[in-house]
Amino acid sequence: MPLTTLHVLVVDDVASSRDALAEMVRALGHKVVAVDSGVAALAALNTRLPDVVFLELWMAGMDGFELSRRIRALPDCRWLPLMVTSVRQGEQSVIDALAHGADDSLAKPVNATLLEAKLRHCSRFLGLQSRLASMAQRQRDIQDNILDAVLTLDEHEHIVDANLAACRTFSNGTPAGLVGHGLRVATGFDLPSLAGPGQCVLRRLDGANFPAEVSASEWREAGEVRTTLVVRDLTEQRRNERMRDEFLAIVSHELRTPLTSVLGAIGLLASGAAGPLPALSLPLVAAAQRNGERLSKLIDDVLDLTKLEGDRMVMNLRSQPLVPLLHEAVAANQGYAVAAKVRLALFFDLEAVHGAAQVRVDADRFLQVMANLLSNAIKHSPAGTAVTVRISAEAHGYGVTVSDCGRGIDPRFLARLFEKFSQADSSDGRPVGGTGLGLYIARLLVERMGGRIYAEQGAQPGEGATFRLWFPATAIDPPGAARRADPQTRLVA
Amino acid sequence: MESLRRVMCVEDDPDIRMIVEFSLTAVGGYEVCLCADGQAALAQVPLFAPQLVLLDVMMPGLSGPETLERLRLLPQMADVPVVFMTAKALPEQVEGLLQHGATGVIIKPFDPVRLPRDILIYWEHGRGCLAD
Repeated sequence: MPLTTLHVLVVDDVASSRDALAEMVRALGHKVVAVDSGVAALAALNTRLPDVVFLELWMAGMDGFELSRRIRALPDCRWLPLMVTSVRQGEQSVIDALAHGADDSLAKPVNATLLEAKLRHCSRFLGLQSRLASMAQRQRDIQDNILDAVLTLDEHEHIVDANLAACRTFSNGTPAGLVGHGLRVATGFDLPSLAGPGQCVLRRLDGANFPAEVSASEWREAGEVRTTLVVRDLTEQRRNERMRDEFLAIVSHELRTPLTSVLGAIGLLASGAAGPLPALSLPLVAAAQRNGERLSKLIDDVLDLTKLEGDRMVMNLRSQPLVPLLHEAVAANQGYAVAAKVRLALFFDLEAVHGAAQVRVDADRFLQVMANLLSNAIKHSPAGTAVTVRISAEAHGYGVTVSDCGRGIDPRFLARLFEKFSQADSSDGRPVGGTGLGLYIARLLVERMGGRIYAEQGAQPGEGATFRLWFPATAIDPPGAARRADPQTRLVA
Repeated sequence: MESLRRVMCVEDDPDIRMIVEFSLTAVGGYEVCLCADGQAALAQVPLFAPQLVLLDVMMPGLSGPETLERLRLLPQMADVPVVFMTAKALPEQVEGLLQHGATGVIIKPFDPVRLPRDILIYWEHGRGCLAD
C-alpha cells in the first residue's frame, strides 16, 4: 500500500515505454497523467500541479534537460520532485539532468521495486514539504496577528518580509508595497537611526506621525545576514499614561485641598495663634500635625514616583556650581535641625571649592534629594550631635556625603535601603515616620541626573550612617542655557 | 518703601479662606480682604486697594490665571504683587504660573505660621525680581 495516493505526470515521446511506466505507477495505487512531449507537459502543469514528474531525458523537440529547466522556472514548481528516466548508460547525462533542476533518475527498463521505493520516498518528502508549508503558514498567521509591525531586511536594508501590521502601517495593507523596497523609502529612516536606543517618531502611510519603540535583532539565513525589526506603536500607551497622569494630578489636587485646611488649622492651633492650648492637648495636636504632614509628603512621593517610574519626569538639567546648591540645601533644612537640637555643618575639600565644582543636575530635584538625606540624618541624630555634609573632589566627579551620629543602619537592611517601601524597624526606639519611598525616589532622581547614591555603615557600631552622592564633573553650560530659578521662585523649592 | 498692610485673598474654599485670614491677621497683623471668586476680587479692588494679592488657581467662574489677567488691566493693579496658591505642585505647572506673570507661587498645603513671612518676602523682593 502506498503511503498516500500521488498524482504523477509521466512525460515520454515513446508510447510503449510511456504506457509501461504509467501502468506500473497505476498498479502501485497512484493516479497518472501521461503526455508525449515537453510542450504537452507544460500545458498539463498549467491545468493541475502533480506531486511528482517522471520525464524522459532524450525526447524529440524539447528534451528532458530543457523541460527540467523550464519546470523549475515556473512559480509553483520550485520544489516539485522531478525524476528523469533514460535507457542510456553513463552517469554524465544524469549529472547534467541534476544540474538542469532534476532531483533524481530512474533507469529504463524500470525496476518495479525501485519505482515503488522511489515513490515511497517522494511521498515522505511531500509529507515533509506539506508539514513545512503548514508551519510556514502558522508562522505567517502568528506574525500577522502580532499588533507590532515586523519587518525583515537583507544586508542592503531592503525589506524581504513584512507582517500584516507592517503592511497596514507603512503600505497599502499588502506586502507588495513593502517587500523589495528599501527601509528608508518605506519608513523614512535607515537602520542605524531606527535601531538606535530610545524611542522615535515614525510616519504612517496616511502621513500621521506616531511615537514608536523599535527593537532590532540580527540573524543569518543561508549565510546571509538578516535583520528583523519589531516596531511598537506607542500611541495607545502614551494616551494611557497621559490619562493616568491627569487622574493622579486631579486626585492629588483633591487630596491636597482638604489637607490644606486640616494642616492649616492644626498649625495655627499648635503655634498658639488661636490662644494657649491646655498642656494635655499639645501632644495630641503635635501628633495630628505630624501625621498630616506625613500624608502630604506621601501624596508628593506618589506623584514623583509615578513620574519617575514611567520615565516622564521633566528634568531641567543644567551644569552649575555644586557649592551654592549645598549651601542652599543646608539653609533649607536648618530650621528642622534647630528644632531637633542638631547642628548642621558643611565641610569642603579645598580642591573641590577652588576647582569651582560643577555638576549637571536639576537644581530643584538635587535639593529634594539633599532634603531627604538631611532630614533622615537629622531625624536619626541624638540631640546635641552634628550632621555633617562634606564635598570632595573624586575621580571624574564630585562626592557629597551626609553623615550622622545616630545608631547607623542595620546591616541586614543596608542592601535593600534604596528599594521601594523599604523602611527599617525603628532600631533606636523613636518613631521616625516616613513613607518608605524617600530613598527610593532619591535613588531614581540621582540616577536620572547621571549620579550615584550609596549608603555606608560606620566602622564601629554606633558611628552613625553615611550617605554618599557622586555626580560626574561637567563643563560650564554656554551662555543662554536655562538659568537657575529666580529668587522669586525660591519659596517653591 | 511703604510697608505691607493690605492683603487680598481670592479663594473659593471657605475653610482655606478662613485659615488664610486667621494666619494673615492673627499671626501677620495684616488687614485682609477675602473674596470667594475672581469677579468679587475685581469688584473689591477699587474699595480695598490691595498691596498684594493671594490668588487660588482653580476656581469656578474665572480661574486664577484669568483673574490675574483682568486684575492687570486695572491701572492701580499693574505692579501689585500677585502670588498664586495652588495644590498643583509639579515644577512645570509652577513654571507655567510664573510665566503667566505671577510674582510667586505658594504650594498647598502651606504653613499658616510661615505664610505672613513668605508673602512679606514676595512684597520686599518680588517686584525687584520681576524688574531684572
